[in-house]
Amino acid sequence: MSFIDILRAEYKLTYSELFRRKSALISIIIYPYLFTGFILFFGLTLGSIEVFNRRIGADPIIYMITASYLMISLFAVIDDILWRPISSEYDGTLPYVIVSPVNKLKYYFAIPFPRLTVIVLTGLTSIVPVYFYYNGLNGLISSLYILVLTLIGSISMITIAVIIMSIIGLIGESWRVLNIIRPILMILLGVYYPRILMPTLIYIVSSLIPASYIIEIIQKTLSKTPVEIYLLLLIAIAITLFYSPISYKSIYFWEKRKVKKGV
Amino acid sequence: MSKAIIVKNLRKTYSSKKRIGLLRSFRENIEALRGISFDIDYGEVVGLLGPNGAGKTTTIKILATLLIPDSGEAYVAGYSVLDEPSKVRENIGIMLTVEKGFFGKLTGKENLEYFASLYGLNRREAKERIDYLIKTLELDKLGGDYKLFEEFSLGMKARLSLARALLTNAPILLLDEPTLGLDPPSARKIRELVKELARRDSKAVLYTTHNMFEAEIVCDRIILINKGLIVAQGTPTDLKKIIPKTKVINLTIRGSNRDLNEILNNFSVKYSVEEIDDYIKNIKLYVKNPEDILNEIIKSIVKTGYDILRINIEEPSLEDVFIYFSEQS
Repeated sequence: MSFIDILRAEYKLTYSELFRRKSALISIIIYPYLFTGFILFFGLTLGSIEVFNRRIGADPIIYMITASYLMISLFAVIDDILWRPISSEYDGTLPYVIVSPVNKLKYYFAIPFPRLTVIVLTGLTSIVPVYFYYNGLNGLISSLYILVLTLIGSISMITIAVIIMSIIGLIGESWRVLNIIRPILMILLGVYYPRILMPTLIYIVSSLIPASYIIEIIQKTLSKTPVEIYLLLLIAIAITLFYSPISYKSIYFWEKRKVKKGV
Repeated sequence: MSKAIIVKNLRKTYSSKKRIGLLRSFRENIEALRGISFDIDYGEVVGLLGPNGAGKTTTIKILATLLIPDSGEAYVAGYSVLDEPSKVRENIGIMLTVEKGFFGKLTGKENLEYFASLYGLNRREAKERIDYLIKTLELDKLGGDYKLFEEFSLGMKARLSLARALLTNAPILLLDEPTLGLDPPSARKIRELVKELARRDSKAVLYTTHNMFEAEIVCDRIILINKGLIVAQGTPTDLKKIIPKTKVINLTIRGSNRDLNEILNNFSVKYSVEEIDDYIKNIKLYVKNPEDILNEIIKSIVKTGYDILRINIEEPSLEDVFIYFSEQS
């Protein structure tokens, strides 16, 4: 079966969840504002806009709404892949997926696209109006540029997410492990806290995550720091591709181990 | 024609934790299968019958390539479940727990479309097949094509689950307790369809259940399994013939105050007496040849002043067969 067929099935599944459960749709639309408001509130109680501007070199409102949008977009991909085996096990669909002849790598690659599409569209209600309000037409163009980079960054997380999913899936009570892994990933991605400010060891680990390079491009663009866009993009793509065969092997290893225990 | 399913000396042991108090626990091995062997032909419905924990689901899961056995061999459609799982998967339709296994926010039809795309059906094939299955299983009459799965009754869920098992029109069906907890019309619909599929399309069906009545009417052959071992197998009629020929005479009597034990102890038979009220009693006599003894017993009872209201002689049921073999094992 083709990747398109699987994608079509996944789009229908995700959109039935989103549109038939209105709270899920509303939360996707308002999340970037909620995140931004929350962080700005704490930021302003501890410091000031000027201090932030001096340290980071960007307006905190624009920086935070971009970071929040990035975070939601990246975690749409990570969560969709990482949670799928757990939710499949819970709703009893896992045995039927395993016995299906579907190529499992294609299947897991297709999973995050529907939600990612919605999130790209919600960019039009979150970062685009904010950029336009602050910077006019230039802001509008910048926001579209950020949208494209966010999309690339999110897609680059697919292969590494599949590997993490396969590893977590081997551990008992994997949803608990997942709840530990998520905040660590949030830090390592460097969305809210730029990785150039991280300690060396964490910086090295962060460098293994493809999306962290895209995030660096976005952050440097916002702070108007010179950035090697093509080089960083190339590194992100190269790491993503490097993880592809590993993700393929890991997914079949996970399935084999799962079947050994019994599905 | 070659066999649809061949199982040879299949063994599976689970390791589970036995907990003592809050902190202490130790590992315990549970032998789910202790070397079972059987085979199934195309066009045959075979019932795997046994109590909870007998090893029925373990057997189904091994044959569906969802569980790896510790030892032994199993072939489905000629392919080894261990060495060629993908080939096995192309030839089976499975139905596991009835109440789960679908997406709550999709309608019945959308759920089938989702799985059709995973099972490699193209859009036209999928549409035709789904429309046919929805009609055959009468899901359309119950609103299965527009209701969300989370709004389905258990009967509708079971029908949808069977529809998914039939999506690819696979020659072998593995059905794990397909009628468990269903209302009589839904259970009957599923039983009829399973029988029809075996007769008309020559499908091989492995059907697990612990419902004796169901096994008797659906299955061509029954495999009795208990504690991971096959204790007997054959057609329902053959199985009944195997057990010692004990029949049950039911007598309902009225009147007299004479002690029944005094009368019945004169005959060397097992019996039980149940008092319905002050006047009416039910007697159950367990005898090998009722014709040899029935006349004498009736005469004795009538002589002591009782009226006989009803007499019937029961053949042993499949349940008796099952209990007999379970106790033997």
